[in-house]
Formats: sequence, structure tokens, C-alpha cells
Amino acid sequence: MVNMLERPPVRAVRETKAVGRRTAARLTLPTLLTLTAIVTIVPFAAMVMVAFAPPSGRTFPDALNPANFTLDNFSRVLSSSDIPRWTVNSLLYSLVSVVCVLLFASMAGYAFAKKKFPGREIMFWAFLATLMVPFQATLIPSYILVSRFDWVDSYWGLIVPTLANSQAVFLMRQFIMQLPDELFEAAEIDGASEWRIFTTIVVPLIRPVLATLGIFVFLWHWNDFLWPLVIGQSGKMQTLTVGLATLQTQAVPINQVMAGATITVVPSLLVFGLLQRYLTDSIAMSGLKA
Amino acid sequence: MPGTGRAGPVPGQPAQSVAAGDTSPDHRRFGSRLHSAFSRSASPAGRGGPRRRPWVGLLFVAPMLLLFLVFRFLPVVGAFLLSLTDYRLSGKWDFIALDNYTRLLSDSVFHQALLVTVTYTVIFVPLTVLLSLGTAVLLHQVVWKRGFFRGVFFLPYVTSIVLAAVIWKWIYDAQDGLLNAVLGLVDIGPIDFLTQSGTVLPSIAVTSAWKGFGYSMLILLAGLQAVPKSYLEAAMIDGAGTWQRFRYVTLPQLRPVLFFVLVIETIGAFQVFDAMYVMTGGGPVRSSYSLVYFLYDSGFKYFDFGYASAIGLVLFLIVLIVSLVQRRLVGRDD
Repeated sequence: MVNMLERPPVRAVRETKAVGRRTAARLTLPTLLTLTAIVTIVPFAAMVMVAFAPPSGRTFPDALNPANFTLDNFSRVLSSSDIPRWTVNSLLYSLVSVVCVLLFASMAGYAFAKKKFPGREIMFWAFLATLMVPFQATLIPSYILVSRFDWVDSYWGLIVPTLANSQAVFLMRQFIMQLPDELFEAAEIDGASEWRIFTTIVVPLIRPVLATLGIFVFLWHWNDFLWPLVIGQSGKMQTLTVGLATLQTQAVPINQVMAGATITVVPSLLVFGLLQRYLTDSIAMSGLKA
Repeated sequence: MPGTGRAGPVPGQPAQSVAAGDTSPDHRRFGSRLHSAFSRSASPAGRGGPRRRPWVGLLFVAPMLLLFLVFRFLPVVGAFLLSLTDYRLSGKWDFIALDNYTRLLSDSVFHQALLVTVTYTVIFVPLTVLLSLGTAVLLHQVVWKRGFFRGVFFLPYVTSIVLAAVIWKWIYDAQDGLLNAVLGLVDIGPIDFLTQSGTVLPSIAVTSAWKGFGYSMLILLAGLQAVPKSYLEAAMIDGAGTWQRFRYVTLPQLRPVLFFVLVIETIGAFQVFDAMYVMTGGGPVRSSYSLVYFLYDSGFKYFDFGYASAIGLVLFLIVLIVSLVQRRLVGRDD
């Protein structure tokens, strides 16, 4: 216990100490933050540097010299591999899925949120329950099913099974539930058809959540690996992620692999650059996981 | 199938266990029933409300419901049924009851895959949670260029794990790799990180943590920002230091969020495959051979579909147990 008489000086000392500590903290934390950020960025920077480095010689220190930068690796990897075809596959896989998932999930979400029909509750909980089952656990039956449809190694097999996205339905339902019922009832009284109510009232109102979900569905598909690996068995049906993985198991020089890697990351970076705030805010709010 | 069930727990879970909002279905149902009862009496009876045309709702659900029944529900049931058969590539099968499961119990490859997966999880989860908590706290404390730094940490998350694996495989390379080049400057190594059984799992865990920590960081940052300022101020007035405030005020407030992050990351760790497939092919000598890798090989290398389905169900059980334990722990607290 501190003596009453000693108290003021002690407090004064403590305060100057605290001020000192605070200035130290003011410098330490931003420094720490900057260092962590640099470490986070280094793998990307290294990837790009190696991709532009001259194909012969050691990657280091050659990769560090900007005077040697060349586009050789890009032109070689583009001509020796199927990257253009893989890109088309990845784009088809991602974009078709985005359109279909957004349409079907918003329709289903609207029905679950605002319509009454027999079996609604059971259906909804069944949707939710399957979320607990990891996709890998159903990989084999999904594959057998697709092979029964004769869809292996086709766009149908690649895309259609991945459209059954319960997470998207759930998100849509949560969002549409918050819209006031009066909006729909007023339109109904005016004699609008159900489809018209959906397209002219519901869709414009849910545009922000459609945008967010669209970004996520795009990233899920663009970055997906296991399903395209299993379904796209011929080289022609591979996506960019699968192609990249096969590139580096073959005897392709590392500079070219990195050039390929740089190409695959461009769309993700574009999405990220344009919509970063959207993406980060929606994770914080909904816990949506790509 | 991306997204669908990869994350394991219901995506609404953060809304329930983290934000604890008004998502209670009973509350909602009651609210909307009250609401529609009210408006129904106010609207003209002739047009017929949504209640009288149940087929409308069914039509709107139909496309997704069909997809869902065929490509989600059927495979879930199918996985269970297949695991009780010796279904082979030819499509021929016999009912063999629990033989696949008893075979698993005595299969040393399964034991190895389980050991690898658990070891990986034990390394990966603390690593990624500490990394995301650390960066979240840093971002919370430092206002300077917060948006920029948040973006930098989140950047790896929007790329694929395959890309991360390709980059890091080269970083770890003994001859040409970046890490050994750096270590060489201080006369260490070269260390062949990916071909030694002692370093391979930590190396892969670092790769996955780098790729994914941005997600948990964002969740934790939101949690940190939700801690009431008045609590921290009260603790400060009571003379609590920075560490004490963090330990006794912030951390307890953050508990549900931390639990959510722990569970998400644990479930993700049990499903590890992509990084191992690309970086090591499961080696050296199966020291990075995970459960999903074992499932993949059983299915698509040996075409032992029944056996592979049984492995899938074991994975499902593990994920389920992890989620239930979390629910228990969080439920007990609130």
C-alpha cells in the first residue's frame, strides 16, 4: 500500500511513464503492422518478379534485377500449355454459376421469406441441415450421380451440381425477410403478376445483397479445386486452378509456372480491387465464407 | 462444389452466436404471422392473399429445390448407403453392412491419414487464430491507413489455395527458394522443408494460414469493434493497464467470436487437401497424407467408392462433433 504522502509523486512518475509508453506504442504498433503487411505481400511480389525474370539462370538474384525483366515466360507458358482454354473454362464455370445461383437463390429466398406453401418449414430446414455436411463427404456419390447422367468431363457436370447452394438461399431469405410486406401487397392489389412483382419490386430492392453474393459465388468457383479436378478429366475440361496444379507437376520451369500463376490471380485481384470494401464489410456482417 | 457445405457450420451461425441478433426463427415467424394477419384483414378479400395460392411459392422454390434434391440431398443419403456397399467402378455392388468401417479401423493408411490430419489441425488452428487475432488487434489499435492494411491482409484470401501452394512450394524450395535464400544470408540451411517429415506439416500449415487468416481477422476485428468503449474506460479508471484491459475486458467480450473462428478454422483444417495435393503429393512417405487425400485416392485412384464414402462419413462425423462441442461451450457461457 502506498503512503498518502508519497502518492502525488508516484502518480506523476506513473503518468510520465505512461506518456512515454504511449509514444513508444505509437511507433511500435504501426511498425509491427507495416512489417506484417510486408511479409504478407512478399509471396505475391516474389511470384510476379519470378514471372518476369529471365528464364535462364538462378531465380535469385536475377529475379531482383528489373533490367532483366522479360515477357518470355508468359509467351512460353501461353503457347506450351492450354491456359487460354482453361481460362475460358474457369470463366464459364464462374460466370454461369453466378448468374444461375443469383437467380435461383433469390427466387427461393423470396418464396421462403414471403410466401406460404405446404412443406415450407421442412424444406428450409433441410436446406440448412445439408450445410453441416462437408462437400468432400459427398464427393463420391456426387461423382457417381454425374457419371450416371453421362456428364463427366462436360460443362454440365462441372456447373450444374455446384448450383445447389444452400448458403445463398439462406442469405437471400434473411435479407428478403426484412423487406416490408406492404410493398408486395400493394403491387398485388394493383394486379401485378407474381413474376412481375419479383422482377420489378424484389430484385431492385435486393441489389446490394445480390452484388455481395455474386462476388462470393464468383470467388468460390474461380478458386475451386476438388470438384473441377474430379470432373474435368481431359486437359480440355480443366479449369485454371487445376491447370496450374498440373503445370507444376510437369517439368515446366518455375518462371513459367509463376507466369501462369500470375495470370490466374488477375481476375481475383480485379474483383478484390474493385469491390474490396463490399467484400470485407459483408464478411463482418454475415460471416459469409468464400 | 464450392461454398456448399465447405465451411461446415451454418453461415447463419455467426449471426446467432456472434451477433446474437433477432434471427430466432420463432420470433420471426410470430412477427410475420401477426403482421400478415393484420394486413390480411385490411386488404380486400377478393384478390386473395399469398396464402390462397400455395403453388406460387412452390414455383419460386422449384428450380433450387430440384437442384438441391438431386445434387445435395441425394448425395448425402447416397454417401451413407454407399458406405454400406462395396460399390466399384463397374457399378456392381453388394451390401456389406459395416465392413468398410471395420476395415477402416484396421487400415494403417487410415490411421496415418487421421494422425496427419489431427497433427495438421493442432498446428494450423492456433497458428491461424493467433495470426488473425494479432493482426485484428493491430488494426484495431492503429487507426493509421487502416483500410489499406486491412486490404493487404485480406488479399491472400481472395486467391486460391492452389495458387498459395504453388507460390509457397517454390518459397520452400531447397535450391532456388526464397526462404532458403534469406536463411542463407545468415548461414542457415539450405533446409528442404517439404521433403522432411518433421517440417512438412508446419510448412503447409503456414501456407494455409497465410492464405486464409484474412477471413478470421475480419470477423475478429468486427468483434473487437463491438466491445463497448465504456467497459474499457471503466477498467482504465480502475487502473488496469493495457494488457490487463485486453486480458480481462476485451478477451471475455470476444469469447463467442473467438469460438466461432476456432470452429470455422478447425473444420476447415480437417478438410485439408488442396495444399497437400499441390505441394507434396501427400509425401514424404505419407507424412502429409490427410483424410481427404485418402478419400480422394480411394475414390479416384483405386475406384473403391464404397470405402471412400465411409471415409467421407467419418469426416462428416468429426465436423459434426466439432460443431456440437462448440455449441455446447458457447451455449453454456451465455
